[in-house]
Amino acid sequence: MTLETVGFWVVATVLLASSLAVVLTPNLFHAVLYLAAALVATAGVFLLLEQPFLFAVQLLLYAGGVVTIVVFAIMLTERLVGERIAQTSRHVVNGAIVAAAVFVGIVGFLIGAPLGAPRPAGTVDTTAAIGRALVGPFAVTLELLGVLLVVALLGALYFARSEE
Amino acid sequence: MTLPPAAWHAIEAFIVLNALLVLVAYVTLLERKFAARMQSRIGPYYVGRPHGWLQPIADALKLMMKEDIVPTASDRWVYNLAPIVFLLPCLLIFATIPFAPDLGVADLNIGVLFFLAVSSLEIVGLFMGGWGSNNKYALLSAMRAVNQIISYDLPFIFAALVPVLLAGSMQMSAIVAAQQGLWFVAYPVVGQLAFLAFLVATLAAENRVPFDILEAESELVAGFRVEYSGMKFALIQLGEYAHMLGTSFLGALLFLGGWLGPGPAALGPVWFLTKAILIFLVVTWVRWSFVRIRVDQILAISWKLLLPATLALLLATGLVVAMRGPGGA
Repeated sequence: MTLETVGFWVVATVLLASSLAVVLTPNLFHAVLYLAAALVATAGVFLLLEQPFLFAVQLLLYAGGVVTIVVFAIMLTERLVGERIAQTSRHVVNGAIVAAAVFVGIVGFLIGAPLGAPRPAGTVDTTAAIGRALVGPFAVTLELLGVLLVVALLGALYFARSEE
Repeated sequence: MTLPPAAWHAIEAFIVLNALLVLVAYVTLLERKFAARMQSRIGPYYVGRPHGWLQPIADALKLMMKEDIVPTASDRWVYNLAPIVFLLPCLLIFATIPFAPDLGVADLNIGVLFFLAVSSLEIVGLFMGGWGSNNKYALLSAMRAVNQIISYDLPFIFAALVPVLLAGSMQMSAIVAAQQGLWFVAYPVVGQLAFLAFLVATLAAENRVPFDILEAESELVAGFRVEYSGMKFALIQLGEYAHMLGTSFLGALLFLGGWLGPGPAALGPVWFLTKAILIFLVVTWVRWSFVRIRVDQILAISWKLLLPATLALLLATGLVVAMRGPGGA
């Protein structure tokens, strides 16, 4: 086994275990920590695919940003409610069935799909390529996303404004 | 004898890490001496006469031998893991910092982004400690920390992006190379403003006075690390100072030309270290000169002043670069 294969299995195991833990643990704060672990493991997948840019962005936005905001939300709400909120999953069995079905579907698709050529060695600078794509062919999409975020921000402001 | 490249990287990382830990230990001595001078005291003196040269070693030994206390009501796993989770990103940020041309662990082409991304993970360990301790002061401190980090991450990133735009690269060595003619701190207008914003955001990111509400010893005892003792406390302190040092190195690299300086190229690391220590001393100087400001003031500074200002600065830099073309100054 090459180092890359070992790395993949380690990252995949961590990712799977922590993702399951996110939905199964009753402790809300632990769920966030497992979510952080899962997001870092996802970044590890990007690293294994030799996409350092996606790796860094994943860490910066998700593991650093999203998790922080979720923690903030939990801390604030627990203070408002005044007690620990437990996470309950009412539809564990149904969820497991749906997840298993999706898994079987994806595996079936992958088995049916022809094996592509091996991944070419990192020849192009993907960071620059991503940058050019974002301001080139996908410029409109990028701008639309920006508008969406502004709308979300305004919505948050609307809900958070103090009652006069 | 030939070793595989991975082994070389491991050896390099090992050397850098250990050099770093010694440096961090002595940086604490430097701060204590500096603070003592500012307050007309002598500071550490007796351990390793005449100037307390052995004080950091003595401190480390003392902390290692102290009793490790775990509060009964704590969230045991979270509490015990927090110092390690906190320390890890603080040490990882040094992975992409080159100390001279070709002298570093990895000179990634996304170096600056890697630094920013990894240092943003520090907050995870921080709120793990604050929450896991099950102590209201620790929890309050963690809440303040999360609050502050959300507010100051963006200005910090925007300020750090100004040199990236000017150099046209996120690679650390390329940013230094672009400052061959003119250090970015001397770049007309945008350079100085960005450096100023970087310093302020650094103070906040490092939770230093005047932005140390999460530590606030007069109200929160010592903040999120109040329950920690012995080696775990040492790990948190280590992480904090390593982060401070790492940010100083980043500042020296982004704005002060890194290892560029008069004299032969072999002096490069010396220049780099001098500049980084200079930034560290400025931060320390501010720490011992100012008083702590309130939470609302901290948030107001970030959202009403620093964030719009750095955003405008980034746009202005983009305009400058668009007019003169990419590349060095």
